[in-house]
Amino acid sequence: MSIRFEHVRKAFGPKEVLKDVGFEVGDGECFFIIGASGVGKSVLIKHLIGLLRPDGGSIYLDGEEVSRLSEKAFYPVRMKCAMVFQNSTLFDSMTCAQNVALPLRKHKNLAMKDALVEAQRRLETVHMGEFADAFPPELGDGMQKRVAIARALTLDPEYVLFDEPTTSLDPVSARRVDQMIRELCDKVGVTSIVVSHDLASIFGIADRIAMLYKGTVRMLGTPEDFRTTDDPVVQQFITGQADGPMEV
Amino acid sequence: MSALATTGEAVLDVVRDVKDILTMARRTVRVVLRGRVERKAVVEQMHEIGNRSVFFITVTMGFIGMILVFQSALQALRIVPDLTILGSTYGEILIRDIGASIGGMMLATRVGAGIAAEIGSMVVTEQVDALRMCSADPVEYLVAPRFVASVIMTFCLLIWACFVAYITGMLTAHMVFDVNYQTFANFMLVDRGDVIIGLTKCLAYGAAIPIVSAQRGLATFGGSEGVGAATTSAVVSSSLAVIVLQFIISAIGYLIFPG
Repeated sequence: MSIRFEHVRKAFGPKEVLKDVGFEVGDGECFFIIGASGVGKSVLIKHLIGLLRPDGGSIYLDGEEVSRLSEKAFYPVRMKCAMVFQNSTLFDSMTCAQNVALPLRKHKNLAMKDALVEAQRRLETVHMGEFADAFPPELGDGMQKRVAIARALTLDPEYVLFDEPTTSLDPVSARRVDQMIRELCDKVGVTSIVVSHDLASIFGIADRIAMLYKGTVRMLGTPEDFRTTDDPVVQQFITGQADGPMEV
Repeated sequence: MSALATTGEAVLDVVRDVKDILTMARRTVRVVLRGRVERKAVVEQMHEIGNRSVFFITVTMGFIGMILVFQSALQALRIVPDLTILGSTYGEILIRDIGASIGGMMLATRVGAGIAAEIGSMVVTEQVDALRMCSADPVEYLVAPRFVASVIMTFCLLIWACFVAYITGMLTAHMVFDVNYQTFANFMLVDRGDVIIGLTKCLAYGAAIPIVSAQRGLATFGGSEGVGAATTSAVVSSSLAVIVLQFIISAIGYLIFPG
């Protein structure tokens, strides 16, 4: 197993967000983490790349524990484990090409000129090549998301974490992003962990799903397991009903 | 919670804040000394911190110069009917102390709020996390250029602030109290120590404001409410830093240059 969370705990002040979370994600898997807003889905995946540190428990990547690494020791981890954030997080003062070139310059110490050539090629793979010289505020949400994905993939990561990749996108753009994530798993062999509320994405491309509820994993299984479960909390979430046992 | 526990918690918070600010200062200075600051970013920040503050600092220090001389002259006239040394006394205190300090407080509000709000917004929209994912140190990319720009531009702005306050003070003395320009423009009380202390303050405030504000910005937590809290905290802490530095530099200055 390539990624493993063991008894992960995290609190922000008095609020205990993650109480005891544990699961494993296999190589090349498209793994979804679902749950109500504020349940700690984004918080959980940020632990894997050192953007947050757990209060307890352990996180393993390729068998190596990463939860206690220093900020610098996380640099190689972040080279093989990229993240596409919920907001596109492109830097407004840089062009799309410069945004995509940044990881190449910092992680691989490429010269600006070489990094921009590679960035152009990466942008073309997400059909954004003609917008290489545009600044992010000039683009729509869907286009920004594609540039952000190009930036995340620019170092050929083995793992990609997607934090609500289809939020705020129109249905067509959302399905294109889904298709891109699925292709990454199937054609490139990338392991993807996707945090999402989008039922069309969840049941469209997930291999397995973990549902977080009250700081723990409520259910872990395939989309089919989720469809057929008797758990009223899971059923309420996946059918999107306002009334039910689920506490928000 | 008991009063002792509340006080203890407040003291611990202050100690933690001071420690965080000193850590930020150490990391920033290390980045600057290693020459890892982008020149283009520094120039952009010099424009943002310096050029955009000129009007604000000119107007505020202009009025402060007028008020200070007007009030000083009124008080002086109650004791002696002679304002001959008004200009030289005002010049000394302006150069040694209040020019840099009042100007520094003004800049702490404008520059400090701007830095904390900008960096805080980047934190809540995860841009700082994105930087870290690119192996880009937020201190190197966000704090160091603002630090260098602020040291240079605050130094220049506070000298300009003293000049403006001096000129408006001189005009006030002439127009309201009929003090001759030549009589007012007397620097006999200003010595080398006053100039060194004044310039040291300009440099110290220029260094402290971006460090304190950036630390507050990077510590932002939550959404827009968090950015608001960080901005308020940056203004309060930067102003406090100016006051504390004023006290420390003045105290050391009086020991070295007692005259």
